[in-house]
Amino acid sequence: MNQVDLLDFIDWTGVECLNFKPNKTIANALKQGYREDDGLSLESDADEQLLIYIPFTQVVKLHSINIKGPEEEGPRTVKLYANKEHMGFSNVNDYPPSDTAIFSSENLKGKPVTLKYVKFQSVRSLTIFIEDNQGSVDNTLVQKIAFYGSTVETTDMKGLKKIEDGH
Amino acid sequence: MVLEATMICIDNSEYTRNGDYSPNRFQAQADAVNLICGAKTQSNPENTVGVLTMAGKGVRVLVTPTSDLGKILACMHGLDVGGEMNLAAGIQVAQLALKHRQNKKQQQRIIVFAGSPVNYDKKVLEAIGKKLKKNSVALDVVNFGEEDDGKPEKLEALVASVNNSDSSHIVHVPPSAGALSDVLISTPIFTGDGEGGSGFAAAAAAAAASGVSGFDFGVDPNLEPELALALRVSMEEERARQEAAAKRAAEEASRQGGEQSSNSQDATMTENVSVGALVDENKRNDQTDNETALLEQALAMSMDDPRSSQSGGISMLDADMSDATMEDQDLALALQMSVQDTAADPTSQTEMSEVLGDRSFMSDIISSLPGVDANDPSVRDLLASLRQGEKKNDDKPSDEEK
Repeated sequence: MNQVDLLDFIDWTGVECLNFKPNKTIANALKQGYREDDGLSLESDADEQLLIYIPFTQVVKLHSINIKGPEEEGPRTVKLYANKEHMGFSNVNDYPPSDTAIFSSENLKGKPVTLKYVKFQSVRSLTIFIEDNQGSVDNTLVQKIAFYGSTVETTDMKGLKKIEDGH
Repeated sequence: MVLEATMICIDNSEYTRNGDYSPNRFQAQADAVNLICGAKTQSNPENTVGVLTMAGKGVRVLVTPTSDLGKILACMHGLDVGGEMNLAAGIQVAQLALKHRQNKKQQQRIIVFAGSPVNYDKKVLEAIGKKLKKNSVALDVVNFGEEDDGKPEKLEALVASVNNSDSSHIVHVPPSAGALSDVLISTPIFTGDGEGGSGFAAAAAAAAASGVSGFDFGVDPNLEPELALALRVSMEEERARQEAAAKRAAEEASRQGGEQSSNSQDATMTENVSVGALVDENKRNDQTDNETALLEQALAMSMDDPRSSQSGGISMLDADMSDATMEDQDLALALQMSVQDTAADPTSQTEMSEVLGDRSFMSDIISSLPGVDANDPSVRDLLASLRQGEKKNDDKPSDEEK
C-alpha cells in the first residue's frame, strides 16, 4: 500500500505548539515551502522540550514520520500520542505514549522513522512531545516535520454530487 | 487587536480591608478589574476574560473566560474578604482555566493583583514562572498594598522568569499614587502591547488626563468616548468664539475711547490695557468673569470725558504694568514717561485730582478692577495720600487769589 504525505489533511486552524520561540513557530517546520528551507526552523524557548498538537481534517492511518534537525539541537526522544486532546507539559506523563521514537543522526538527515502501524489506525489528531535533543543542549531545533500514511476509506463528502433527477 | 484569553486573579485576603487606597484596597482593586475587563473585551470582540479569587477558603474561579462583560462585572459583587492569599495556587489554577479555553487561537494571559504579603520563596515563584513561559502564558502583576518581606523583588523575579519578548509586565502602585484604576490606565497592562491600546483605552486615558471630575456634562467619558469627544470639541469651539467676541468688544471700546479723548496718549494707554487684559485672559480659565471685568474697564474708560478716561488709564496702568513690562519693556518705559509728563502738567494734575477726589467713583473703579482688593490697606493708604495731595492743590489757588 503506498503511503502519501499527509500535509493536505492537516487542520491548520487547530495546530498548536507550546514552548516555541517567537518568530520560530511551528509553521516553519510544518508548512510546505517553509519546511524545505533549513534556515527556517521551530525552536524551543524555556527549555529543550516541545509539545505539538496536530489535528487532521479526516481520519488517517499513520505509517511513518520524518523529522529533520541539526546534529546537536535536533530532537532525540519523541513521544507520539494519538487522539489525545488538551495535553500540556504537566500531563504528558499521565498517559502512555502510542509510540516512542528515538531519533538517530541518520533519521535527522531525512530518513523517516516507521511507527507501530497498528497503534495509528484511526488518527484524528496527533500530539508530538519532543522530550530531549541529541546534544542535551538548552534549545531544540526542528527544521522539518512530515507525516506519511494513508487516509481511511471514508466517504469523501466532496465527491458527492447532486444527481439530476430527470424523471 | 490582540486576540487574548485573560484570567484575572483577585486578592480578597484580610489585608485588602486596609483603607490606604481609597475607599479600601479591595474596592480600589474591584474598580481596576472592571476597567481592565472593559478594555480587554472591547479591544477584540473575541477576547475572553475570567476572574478568580486567591484568598478565602481557597482559590475559587468566579467566572471561566467569557466575553460577556455583564457576567464578569456581576461576579465581583458580594465577594467575601477573608483568609490569606495563595499566589502559587491562584496562578496555577488560572493557567489551568486558560489551558481549557475554547478558542485555541487566543493567547493566554494572567493578571494578578497582589495586595498582601507573598509567603512563597523566590525559587518557587521562579519555577512557576518558567512553567508559565513554557506554556506560552503571559503574566501581568499589579503590586500594591503590603511591601514587606521583599515582596516587590519576589514579584519582579516572577515576572522576569515569565517574560518573553516584553509580553509580561509588572506595575508597583504606592498608596500615594491616587486611584488604582487611574494609575493602571497609562500602563501596558491596560493599553496592551505596543499598539497604543484600543480606542477604549485611549479615550479613557484621555479622559483621565484631562481630569474626569472636570467632565460634567452628565456623560461618562468611559462609556461614550465619541460623545465625550464631540462635547469636548464643541466646548472648545464655544470657548474660542467667546474669546474672539470679547476681543472684538474690547477693541471697539478702546477705539471709542480714543475718539472721545483728545489726548492721543489715552489711546495708547487703552490699547495697552486691552493687551494686558488679553494676556490676563489667556492665563485665566474663568472666561466670563474676565470678560465682564474687561467690559467694565472699557466702559469706565470710554464713558465720560477725557479726564475720567485718563484717570482710569492711570489706575489701570498700576494694575497692568507688570504685564506690560513682561510683554514689551520699551513700551512700558514709554508709557511710564508719558504718564510722568501728564503728571507734571499742572492743569491735568488738577483735573485728575478732581477725579481722584471723587471717592465713590474711585472705590467703584477699584472694586471693578480684577485682582485689586478695595479693602487692601496699601490701596487705602494710596487713596488717602491722593486726598491729601488734593487738599494741598486746593490750598494753592486760594493763596494765589489772596
